[in-house]
Amino acid sequence: MPGATDGITVEGIVVECLRNATFRVELTNGHVVLAHISGKIRKNYIKILLSDRVLVELSQYDLNRGRILFRYRN
Amino acid sequence: MNTLVIVRVGERQWHALDDDLVVGRGEASPRPDGRLFLSIDAWRDPVFERLAEVMLAALPRPVHTVVDEADLDLTARWQQAGLTTRRREWEYVMTSGSRPAPAPRGVTLLPVGSAELRPLRRLNRALHAEIESSVGWDRMPATVLSRPLDPARHVVAAEPGGYVGLTRLMLLPRHTRIGLLAVRAGHRRRGIARAMLTEVLRTSKERGVASVSAEVDETNTAAIALVEAAGAHRHGSTLELVLR
Repeated sequence: MPGATDGITVEGIVVECLRNATFRVELTNGHVVLAHISGKIRKNYIKILLSDRVLVELSQYDLNRGRILFRYRN
Repeated sequence: MNTLVIVRVGERQWHALDDDLVVGRGEASPRPDGRLFLSIDAWRDPVFERLAEVMLAALPRPVHTVVDEADLDLTARWQQAGLTTRRREWEYVMTSGSRPAPAPRGVTLLPVGSAELRPLRRLNRALHAEIESSVGWDRMPATVLSRPLDPARHVVAAEPGGYVGLTRLMLLPRHTRIGLLAVRAGHRRRGIARAMLTEVLRTSKERGVASVSAEVDETNTAAIALVEAAGAHRHGSTLELVLR
């Protein structure tokens, strides 16, 4: 599981992989955010694919943006 | 943002605080080869810059990081912090399925889960030594590491005298990722790697996986030729940046 975070975290499903290393993630409440991957995920070469279930931390400044903290196994 | 404070919260962890709210995080992680890899998560450029400044002042050189080459903003942030490109890895994607590529005479392919642990360990040690004395592990993606060594994640090429090649896999629910594909030095250029790759593509199809991916250093022409001959296409690239 991801490390501690002060931000709002929500589960979601990756619904689109965009070309510029970002993803559209549909959250469990139906809201869709534009998310990029966290440094830890990038450093560990974890791949994010379409339909992956992920944990997203929402931006404190813009609730339409997020950061993928964790990819669930299924 | 005037109250931004950077606090070292662990040996290799930093937080950026603004009015006691965490607005950024930085971390340094050592790889098994001893190199330090950095990551910073921050929503705003000034936070990233401050974290990078404090972390780089505190850590020994060299330090490394990896970025998706398509992520121009993040790449630019690290470059502004002084890091430069050390190398590039292409990400290749192949379609799973059967292709004719029989194993060379005298070579038996052991499917995932069939190899014996002890000879697999011997082969792994021998390959590590060969790579270390040639191209070096620091030109390999992080995904080549597998601890503990698990036969359930390897396709192995065997000869009567012992194991001569392996393919290390990450078997994800809807995807297969190749971590390492290597053949002992004295056994190359006989089609062993191609046969192992074909076996990976075939078994991936069997388990219902549509695609197989692999990262290849852009200078590794033999590996590029191998995957492109299997129909692989470039899907993206990763840059390793360094500050010496």
